[in-house]
Amino acid sequence: MSTARRTTAGFFFALTLTIFCCAPAQANSITIDDSGTQALDPAVSMRWKTATPARSAADNVMIGTTTIRVRINVTPWLKRSGRIYLSLPAQQPGPIRLSWITQGRFLPGQVQSGNRMLIYSGPITTPFMEDTLTLQFVVDGTLMRRAVPVTYHFEMDES
Amino acid sequence: MRAKPRSLGRLHPASIGAVLLAAFSTSAPAYTVTLDPAAPTAIYLQVGVGGFTADYCGGTSYPPQHETPNCGPNYGGGTPENNSTINLVSGTVASGTVGNGTAVAMTTNSTAANSYLDGYVFCSVPAQLYIGGFYRTTGATTAAASVTATVPAGLKDAAGDSIPFSQIQWTSSGNGDTGAEPFPAGTFVGGGVQTVGSMASNSWNESCLTFSYLNSTVRPGGTYSGAVLYTMSAP
Repeated sequence: MSTARRTTAGFFFALTLTIFCCAPAQANSITIDDSGTQALDPAVSMRWKTATPARSAADNVMIGTTTIRVRINVTPWLKRSGRIYLSLPAQQPGPIRLSWITQGRFLPGQVQSGNRMLIYSGPITTPFMEDTLTLQFVVDGTLMRRAVPVTYHFEMDES
Repeated sequence: MRAKPRSLGRLHPASIGAVLLAAFSTSAPAYTVTLDPAAPTAIYLQVGVGGFTADYCGGTSYPPQHETPNCGPNYGGGTPENNSTINLVSGTVASGTVGNGTAVAMTTNSTAANSYLDGYVFCSVPAQLYIGGFYRTTGATTAAASVTATVPAGLKDAAGDSIPFSQIQWTSSGNGDTGAEPFPAGTFVGGGVQTVGSMASNSWNESCLTFSYLNSTVRPGGTYSGAVLYTMSAP
């Protein structure tokens, strides 16, 4: 057997090991303490997107906007890197679309209920991270009969 | 540096504190806002001419610039406005035909031919009177809003002669329409309030009414008039 063939076999074995070694680790998501967050108006006034309905029973979207001052406690991840998500669980009154703009500390984005969206990825350099988010909720008005609480939270992925 | 919970069995005391801190973070309460439907109910009734800032889908011609549901303010579409106009529906019975039982077609001075929904030429004027609107409400489909007509006993002339309002009837249609009309054909019932149509929730409802005078009784010559008031009531 030639040396070249031994080398090839060895490389193949090493490559296989490398694939096993670097398979994505299971991310561990932890809810971040957001008790320092404040809403300028915790009651979001929902209004019809269009004052007039369509010919058929469609286009019944209601929209509401509010501003929150986000302050999350990331002390446990200080001096590490992390990925922070805004998570909007599936909940009543049904499908909810949430979009937001930020002042720059976090990323703007949008998410459907039952999902989450990345708002920060990088080093955690301060015990608290803060930003002002303008949130816009979009809900099918035919699902809303009365005021409903909607919950969301921030998650840290650590690997 | 914070230890990971998975390696708890080998942590030294300083690391345990960090693990507990992580546990507290896990139990942090999520944030809650309340979505509150403000002004959830709106109704609009148009009999004859109405008022809109623009067609719902934008523009004034058909087809609309945007297919529903991509209409509304974001697409240049309008919103309803008040309009105090009272339209007239009238007819003339030729001499020699009074009371002969042949219905006399009536026409309107309304110029409302186009639907404010999409600009479509829905009614034919002056032969037809537009009637339409919507009932906006939150929640699942509800009982329809009703439209009633408050009808005097009769039409009067200057001499005090009277023609029963029951001598006036109407048919209902709309250009391109098929199926049942939200405002079906009917005949006025004098001296009372009668239901003349209904509007399903969260949809546009419209019909074109063509009035006629039944001309089944002989009446003195003159100009007879009377006012019918249409009222929309949401559940």
